[in-house]
Amino acid sequence: MQALIIIGHGSHLNAESSAPVYAHAAAIRATGAFDEVRECFWKEEPSMREVFDLVEADDVYVVPLFISEGYFTEEVIPRELGLDGPAPSVTRKLGKTIHYTKPVGTHSSMAGMILRRAEETAGLTDDEARDAGLIIIGHGTERNSNSSEVIYRVSREADEAGIFGHVRTGFLDQAPEVGEVLEAMEERRIVLVPFFVAEGWHTQETIPDDLGLNRPAVSPMTEKDGRTIFYAAPVGTFPEIAQIVLQRAREAGARLPGGVAVGEAAGV
Amino acid sequence: MSDAPEVRGAHAAGGIPAARQALAEWIDAAGGEGRTFLQVRLLRTGDGRYEIRHARDLHRSILSLETVTSDPYAARFIAQMTSGGEHRPLKTAPNLRQGWALVDLDARALWTALDYLYPACALHWHAELAGTLRVTHWREVAARQSGMYGAVKLLPPDVVRNTVRACCGDAVCLRRVAWDVDTDTPLDLPSEGDVTGQALVPCPEACSMFISFARQVLVLERAPRHELPGLGRLGVEEIEQVREIATAAAAGTLGAAREGEFSEATNSRRMRYLALRLAEEKARIGDLPAPELPCEGCPKAVPCRGCPMV
Repeated sequence: MQALIIIGHGSHLNAESSAPVYAHAAAIRATGAFDEVRECFWKEEPSMREVFDLVEADDVYVVPLFISEGYFTEEVIPRELGLDGPAPSVTRKLGKTIHYTKPVGTHSSMAGMILRRAEETAGLTDDEARDAGLIIIGHGTERNSNSSEVIYRVSREADEAGIFGHVRTGFLDQAPEVGEVLEAMEERRIVLVPFFVAEGWHTQETIPDDLGLNRPAVSPMTEKDGRTIFYAAPVGTFPEIAQIVLQRAREAGARLPGGVAVGEAAGV
Repeated sequence: MSDAPEVRGAHAAGGIPAARQALAEWIDAAGGEGRTFLQVRLLRTGDGRYEIRHARDLHRSILSLETVTSDPYAARFIAQMTSGGEHRPLKTAPNLRQGWALVDLDARALWTALDYLYPACALHWHAELAGTLRVTHWREVAARQSGMYGAVKLLPPDVVRNTVRACCGDAVCLRRVAWDVDTDTPLDLPSEGDVTGQALVPCPEACSMFISFARQVLVLERAPRHELPGLGRLGVEEIEQVREIATAAAAGTLGAAREGEFSEATNSRRMRYLALRLAEEKARIGDLPAPELPCEGCPKAVPCRGCPMV
């Protein structure tokens, strides 16, 4: 028997943070590719501490629904799960073989998803996009220098795609801070895409409030200082992320039927 | 018990089938009345068939319930929000909403549904009965915290005890704390009496809500304190909290702060902690002496009959 465990951050304050984890898990459960699919979180129940007690399978694939190989995926998750090391790692304990994979955020399709989010939100023509700026917002942290690596890589890939005139990177908890990046950009139209896995306190409250933008519940667009600023939903809520979760498990050795695909019902 | 990585998180390796069977047998043995597990009623409705409802919905007509389904995974939506639409980060908070029934479940679906209503609780209940529950004491939990939570290890044992009383009492969480400060330092919590329902669900280690709350408590405990006649030694933030609670109570907005919003003065756990602090201070300083007559500002030099203040 094989089980899939999807790990999310979760939140003490709102349900949006765990919603994509549950949605992707439900979509994968519906494929029948795993005997068991279970969710667990850092800030909600079920907690990471008890998740191996929630699955019966002896072959367990653990996929973090996180963006970066950073503080959470390299330190907190292995510690809380009692794993032998950061991903990719294989730990044998409790009569189980536990395969810990890299997070979804470092997957090669992320730049494409961010560009799709930006285009969907702003609805610009090709010419307008070439004159517009794109800011990819990462959480960042001073605690782990690896955390920002994927954000910069994806920004570079999005820039190389040549769709937007300028692509920049801004962070919440490290330099360059997103507010400063936004100030410094000269384009009249700017699209902000949070490279986050879920809606939550940051995407719905702190980012728009700190930048003086409309909260997403009000409008994705803000006219400010003669500029039009579009603020997109985070990439992690795309249904296609479930497919990446499956791919991560397959890379770690999960036996998945050829052509297994996640249905469109996976919408978050 | 050890917190060594190889046994971390293990209560009953491979023990789900045994626990699942024990749960079904426990319900079967109860006959038509079923069993109350925390806030839900587990009913046997036929041979190997089960139903789950909120315990307070036991006698309601099934037609009057808003959600009736045989999909065990629907339990996760039931458990996600309170009846007021508030997020429930802690599934054992005593605020499970009513108005639903999970019906026609086999023993496996019963287990799944219960595990989404109350994650790991049936397993911990069974582990407690079987004597296999692995407890991780506070010092071990605190020692492994890092980043913004690393400082919680600085809480002294008597503060940990008050933090548990504020954060883990039946009024806010239905599990019963099974861990101590460490093996040699018991928490010595006052008894809370009978558990809610018929199953004791132990808490094997401090959860993330507790760790987050402990961090807030550390901030309060480290603040300089002022001696206030009649109240005791309180920090500036505690004094402000008294004011904010009175204001919110007067405005009828007490209870509006979110369960996990520990920065809010009117957060339920924050208020519970303040109540414990005030009670402790009162025990230390006692009552203020009764005022001596005559009252301040009274032109009469001696107490008189007919004084409007007496």
